[in-house]
Amino acid sequence: MTDSTTASATSMPLIQARNVNKVFPNGCHALKDVSLDVQRGEVVVIIGPSGSGKSTFLRTLNQLETITSGGIFVDQVDLTDKRTDINVVREEVGMVFQAFNLFPHKTALGNVMLAPMKVLKQSKAEAQKTAESLLERVGLADRMDNYPSRLSGGQQQRVAIARSLAMKPKVLLFDEPTSALDPEMVGEVLDVMKELAKEGMTMVVVTHEMGFAQEVADRVVFMEDGELALEETPERFFHSDHPRLQRFLGQVL
Amino acid sequence: MQTQSSRWLGHGLYLVIMAVLISGVYFAGQKIDYSWHWERLWPYIINTESQDIVAITDGTAVVDAAGRLSIEPDFGDDPQIVNVYDTLVSRHGDLIFQGDTIARIDGWRFGPIAEGLWVTIKISFISLIFAVLLGVMFGLMRVAHGQVWRNLAVTYVEVIRGTPLLVQIFIVYFFIGTVFDLDRFTAGVAALSIFTGAYVAEIVRAGIQSVPVGQMEAARSLGMNYVEAMAYVIMPQAIKRTLPPLAGQFINLIKDSSLVSVISITDLTKAGREVVSGSFAPFEVWFTVAVLYLVVTGGLSLLIQRLEKRLSASD
Repeated sequence: MTDSTTASATSMPLIQARNVNKVFPNGCHALKDVSLDVQRGEVVVIIGPSGSGKSTFLRTLNQLETITSGGIFVDQVDLTDKRTDINVVREEVGMVFQAFNLFPHKTALGNVMLAPMKVLKQSKAEAQKTAESLLERVGLADRMDNYPSRLSGGQQQRVAIARSLAMKPKVLLFDEPTSALDPEMVGEVLDVMKELAKEGMTMVVVTHEMGFAQEVADRVVFMEDGELALEETPERFFHSDHPRLQRFLGQVL
Repeated sequence: MQTQSSRWLGHGLYLVIMAVLISGVYFAGQKIDYSWHWERLWPYIINTESQDIVAITDGTAVVDAAGRLSIEPDFGDDPQIVNVYDTLVSRHGDLIFQGDTIARIDGWRFGPIAEGLWVTIKISFISLIFAVLLGVMFGLMRVAHGQVWRNLAVTYVEVIRGTPLLVQIFIVYFFIGTVFDLDRFTAGVAALSIFTGAYVAEIVRAGIQSVPVGQMEAARSLGMNYVEAMAYVIMPQAIKRTLPPLAGQFINLIKDSSLVSVISITDLTKAGREVVSGSFAPFEVWFTVAVLYLVVTGGLSLLIQRLEKRLSASD
């Protein structure tokens, strides 16, 4: 980690969620007292049935979803504090979406360069250099000048990962990054994510890819009905006799 | 898929139908008791008659060696000097009275129809710019988070869309124009841009809302604030989607501009009305006016189509 803060600060969890509750305006209680710590360099995988609140929880971590009560701290910055500039926090919390959400009016390179130029005020040359090396890293050196509409799903998602990395985030959030992909493209995206994990990137991943969870995760979290039902290392997690987890795994595996 | 031959057949059939329609109109025109005089229209479009130069005071004509004509006034004023002329009407030493023709100048100038066309283009173009500014502003207010902004935008759109343009022109000219001491041209531009702005606002709103929510989320999660996300991510996509309906609205604006003739702005329509009474050729005049409107709207249509093509590079 390239952190210049004190030793006690670096030993603190990068993300701390404390008793997070989320009630939607329609009365749906999506998150019930969810608490989770994510250490620096850790990969946490969240699994659970649809509607369990896992995506909602992930989206609260960069305040795309506001919370009703509780506290969320990213690098000790309280996201619920009104004085916190959420835009500054979001520079450090990257997010990769299920639907990629690439900017269709920009090329792959333009997608990666946009935020560094407009938010970090990097020069065009500087942003382009970073963007090119990032796209190379996700294996798209030959597709830099393509518009998203000319890229396959897997390629788009890799551009989206490069776009997030361009902001040099402290943590990357993945919201079902492979769910919208054709099966043959899942591997290329997972490979990039594994590579990132190996390089020490802190990641929180909502996914249905049990193989990825088993192989890469430091911890696996099971959510159901807005509650954090189980939190274990992968070995213990996949051999747990938790009844609801058993039922869920029985359905997806 | 259409075959090549069926397409040519379609084109041919179209030409036949058009030929029948046009000849129908032509023969109908011949049949009625009306003598067509298209040639009478020319002076009202481009006037090639030589212009008279008249004396502004009483005096004596002086033609110097260089051929320069001047009028020495009877009572101590500065002489009227005429440098440019083609035919001399007065001779050296002539007694000249105020209003006399002293020389003629050849060449051409625009007639009232051409000048009216120019006024129509000018008023439409200026109104278009203000309409876009108003439309983007109120369109953004319409999707803003603050309730105040949304209410204000809804009020503007509903009030303007719910009242006739003709009435708005009268209100802007007679009421607002009196309060702020506006001349008729400014009042006309104001009425047209406020009216068109309301429609542009709705088009802009629809364009913004047609951009998937994920685009805003992606932009925001990269650390852009609302304004940056709007400017760099949402609006560039929204504008592309709004171009076809905007083109329609701009064409409406050009046609609506004919209504400003009610506050005595001599636009193409009013020029047409004036020329009818001078030329006694109403049919020819109105056909010409219609074609001129068609040329302006068609040109704009073409321009926007080309813009659309350029913006579709990312599709």
